[in-house]
Amino acid sequence: MSKNNRITKNIKSAIFYAIMFALSLLWLYPYIWLFLSSFKPWDQIFTNFIPTYFTSKSYSFILSTADQLGFPFLLGLFNSIFISVTVTISVIITSAIVGYAVAKIKFNGANTLFNFVIYQMLFPGFMFTIPLYVTVKTLGFLDTYAAMIVPSLMGAWGVFMFAQSFKSIPNDYIEAAKIDGANVFWIVFRVMMPLNRATASIVGIFTFIGIWDNFMWPLIVIQSHNKMPLSVLLATFSQSYGVYVGPILAGAVIQTIPMVLIFIIFRKNFLQGISMAFK
Amino acid sequence: MKDRIGTLKRVENTKGWLLSSPYWIFAGIFFGYPFVWLVILAFSKWNFISSPNFIWFNNFLKLIKDPMFWTVTWNTVRFMIYFLPMILAFSILLAIAFQKAKYFRTFFAMSFLIANVSSGVAYSLLFNQLFSANGPLNSFLYDNFGISIPWFTDPNWAMFSIALMVTWKFLGYYALIFLSGLQMIPRELYEAAEIDGANNWTKFWKITLPLLNPSMVMVLVLAIGLSFGIFTEPFLITGGGPLNSTQTFMMVVYTDAFEKFEGGYAATMSIAAALISFGFIILVRKLMERKVDFS
Repeated sequence: MSKNNRITKNIKSAIFYAIMFALSLLWLYPYIWLFLSSFKPWDQIFTNFIPTYFTSKSYSFILSTADQLGFPFLLGLFNSIFISVTVTISVIITSAIVGYAVAKIKFNGANTLFNFVIYQMLFPGFMFTIPLYVTVKTLGFLDTYAAMIVPSLMGAWGVFMFAQSFKSIPNDYIEAAKIDGANVFWIVFRVMMPLNRATASIVGIFTFIGIWDNFMWPLIVIQSHNKMPLSVLLATFSQSYGVYVGPILAGAVIQTIPMVLIFIIFRKNFLQGISMAFK
Repeated sequence: MKDRIGTLKRVENTKGWLLSSPYWIFAGIFFGYPFVWLVILAFSKWNFISSPNFIWFNNFLKLIKDPMFWTVTWNTVRFMIYFLPMILAFSILLAIAFQKAKYFRTFFAMSFLIANVSSGVAYSLLFNQLFSANGPLNSFLYDNFGISIPWFTDPNWAMFSIALMVTWKFLGYYALIFLSGLQMIPRELYEAAEIDGANNWTKFWKITLPLLNPSMVMVLVLAIGLSFGIFTEPFLITGGGPLNSTQTFMMVVYTDAFEKFEGGYAATMSIAAALISFGFIILVRKLMERKVDFS
């Protein structure tokens, strides 16, 4: 390769990386703006990108003043964590057990169950919003935590993911555990689960994010402010106190941070999961 | 011996049913029961309190005559006209860039993907401020080009602005789907094409794009499904306006059911949305899906 050629190649790759960094920053810009703005004095939110000084006024407003106005954000944060964690744990446990039954137990309902799970996934979730509301109302769950938790405790997608992943595990592992006298639950959680950690974390991450992010459903079934998850509480607050831009942005930061943290901690599983879910 | 195998089989059978029975019961309550109600509601007039009134196909007749139904259908189609070409072109380009990048690949992927975990409520409130009349985007445009854009206040712009937000959120995710599609294309194909004297442009159109077909169909199916479920963005930012230009199916389902208390009609509307989205998905599959052979 001639010297000239190498120089053009270097320039080309420098331009490529410059563009990629610029685009990455552009994509991160909304987050950066949000984060900086939540610490800005209120009159500088729209005037300065970097404020003359930082203040936590927005946070103290959203965490204490808003509380006195009837919007308990700390409680909302607790509600969101409680609901999302409960559902996530339940989905992982139940999906693993049912997925194991589908993939590894030869019983005459295994195929039916697997087909049923696929059938369930065909329907878009929004189609069931109204009839599910009727169901939850019939059960007397309206305006309780149960309305947000119970309908999501098990899911077709989780069962499908675990069943697919368990199918690729050789039966020898199970036979060996059986000879050692292990029961089904021991096999599922002590043998299969460690071998399918990637699946478990993907099902967990996506379930957690889905519940944390859910807005329409809790908006429909919850009326009391003290039972609302952060998403609905923040939306309701912004509809009555829309002029308080700083506190709203601070609330948005509080609602976003757990998801960003989970994303950063589990980034490897996340990337793996996306390529795995689409193969 | 035969007897023992028989017993073993029976034991496995019982075990299978025992382990899967909670799921069957759960699905009966939270899938089967709502499913029955969905059918009942589609043929009834009901305000959630008195008993449902059976009205045959009147909900569907009402739907066809309802101008709002046609408005939301058109709005959703408009959203897809903005969103689908934009997200498809950009996510393929980004996937190619990801593949080209030898260094910082994880950093680039992270920067684009982190938008995807932003919560619907938080990012709607955030973009509402970013795109507001005196927000940072408009002051940038005004300072540099002397223009400002009525992102959410002009009926011609509002849906496009929502499409931009959704593109911001999903670009990285779809680019990764395309990246895993790109990585399945064998290198030898490109090498063979180079020997035949093909340039980058020809390689892209003759090799990359045709072989990305499965990923393309998958992204389109996901993006169409998403287009019909949009709720949070218009609910929080525009409230469906200006002039109903950002009303979506889910917005109308929500207002019909929980503000006008027409449960039956709202359920019919959600069935219609699902059917139309199925229609688009089938159309995409028929028009685009090709059998791809990598050898």
